[in-house]
Amino acid sequence: MARSVWKGPFVDGYLLRKAAKTRASGRNEVIKTWSRRSTILPQFVGLTFGVHNGHKFVPVLVTENMVGHKLGEFSPTRTFHGHTAGDKRAKRAPAAPAP
Amino acid sequence: MPAYTIAMARNDFRSTGPVPRSTPAPGGLVCVGRILGARGVRGEVRVRSHTADPRAIGRYGPVYTSDGGRSFRLTVTGQGTGAGAGTVFARLTGVADRDAAEALKGTELHVPRNALPATGAEEFYHADLVGLAAARSDGPALGRVIAVHNFGAGDVLEIGDDAGSVLVPFTSAAVPDVDLAARRLVVAPLPGLLDAAEAAPAAPRHRRRQRRGGRQ
Repeated sequence: MARSVWKGPFVDGYLLRKAAKTRASGRNEVIKTWSRRSTILPQFVGLTFGVHNGHKFVPVLVTENMVGHKLGEFSPTRTFHGHTAGDKRAKRAPAAPAP
Repeated sequence: MPAYTIAMARNDFRSTGPVPRSTPAPGGLVCVGRILGARGVRGEVRVRSHTADPRAIGRYGPVYTSDGGRSFRLTVTGQGTGAGAGTVFARLTGVADRDAAEALKGTELHVPRNALPATGAEEFYHADLVGLAAARSDGPALGRVIAVHNFGAGDVLEIGDDAGSVLVPFTSAAVPDVDLAARRLVVAPLPGLLDAAEAAPAAPRHRRRQRRGGRQ
């Protein structure tokens, strides 16, 4: 068994507790965190984290396909200097599971 | 929680900050590209395409200069590869030689907003969202939509003014009302979303150092 598998995913304990508390309360609130290194666990699905990027908190709505990634992956720290596509559009996605 | 998502073909990861935006130009024009220079001696140009699919720049009819004074029929003849995948090669009507093509270097190309295809239900063009006035559901104004980001975890609206900006998830819970006709949207702030960063709990790193006997 690979060492990384044997050790399991890393999550800061305080973040785990905050997530559990928010889930238990049923409130739809943003969990602010600096813990970019924490792994996204299945019990985070449906929660919204505010992940600090060194400047501000980026809202991260956790979905199933984000499980296993780190929170920091969804809160980039660098400024993108580019041009947004003029014909880019938005559409309503399927509803995320409730926290 | 229902969410709005944005179909993106490229440039999926954007950060916050002063980023050049794809804002509707005066007169309802949307910027779709910029001429980088000439290609060859027969009047072809290299164009940095600002469309989700780079080759789509030729699908919206005639393209106009920023002031709307000149228009061209653009025909895409090829596309760059690798790092230049966002660049297309094109012919413009009325541009027959290299000198004429080089004279257009730096020219921005626009299409009328109404030339873009109609969106489906709950679909919005970035160009329509940017510039909308935003207000909290309980009244106070938040500023205007500066940009629409997608860092891989859903779409995020950057809303603010000269004093600063906030990031709001583009979900129907956080943004229940988008009124394009009235050029405004309503933000229903989730608890903790619009609080100042200083109001958030202290970072745990300091406590960790203390436990390890490091810096106090």
